[in-house]
Amino acid sequence: MFERFTKDARAVVQGAVEHAERAGAGSVDAEHLFLALLDREAGRASFALAALGLAERGDAVRQALGEARRRAGLSQADAEALAGLGIDVSEIVARVEEAHGVGAMSGDRKVKGWSGRRSFGRGAKEILERALRIAVARRDRHIGDEHILLALTVRPGVSGEVLADHGVTYESVVRVLYGGGEAKAG
Amino acid sequence: MTEATDLAERAGDRDPRVGLRAVAALRRLLEQLESVQVRSARNQGWSWQEIAAELGVSRQAVHKKYGRH
Repeated sequence: MFERFTKDARAVVQGAVEHAERAGAGSVDAEHLFLALLDREAGRASFALAALGLAERGDAVRQALGEARRRAGLSQADAEALAGLGIDVSEIVARVEEAHGVGAMSGDRKVKGWSGRRSFGRGAKEILERALRIAVARRDRHIGDEHILLALTVRPGVSGEVLADHGVTYESVVRVLYGGGEAKAG
Repeated sequence: MTEATDLAERAGDRDPRVGLRAVAALRRLLEQLESVQVRSARNQGWSWQEIAAELGVSRQAVHKKYGRH
């Protein structure tokens, strides 16, 4: 699959690995792909994010992603579903952090000397597979960073939710990249 | 409506999507909680056997899951 990735897409994947390593995450997650996309200043995805006004709100986006990570990577929709069962996620996170420190529920471990290679978690693999499917459906010959962005907008989860909160959806990305409207793929 | 019946009604939400999402979220929350508690126990010198006994699983299961870290 990787041989079909454009230079920009490869840079995003590499950037995601670096984000995961810096955070001490056990695996590369979908959110690391999103963070890597935000860092980029070249490429079609960066163009789309800038056109949709997200580039200048990078700090707010990073903060929202960080908060979701602190609550075990649960999205707002997840937290609301649990609230429906009478479970207050923020209360649980607050109590665990009180005993075990800030970020205890993030799954990140700053283990000294652990520099093993990160594997891709299920979420990140799903994003890359979806990016491939979207590229195929669009009859694009290569998988670019824009396909990774499109995949992030359609997969339920923290990244898709944060993107949607800032008006970045599959439809809006397609509109700024290709013009006009079209059916959702992937 | 009392709080209890309100909760009961929500827990039995007719929309399977909401119910399934809650289950998936709960599982994720549980996994993180388990990881935090197991690491904390190990840092305090607990054996895998002691941790497994409290969790109600086999020593092998808990060691396989967390032993490398």
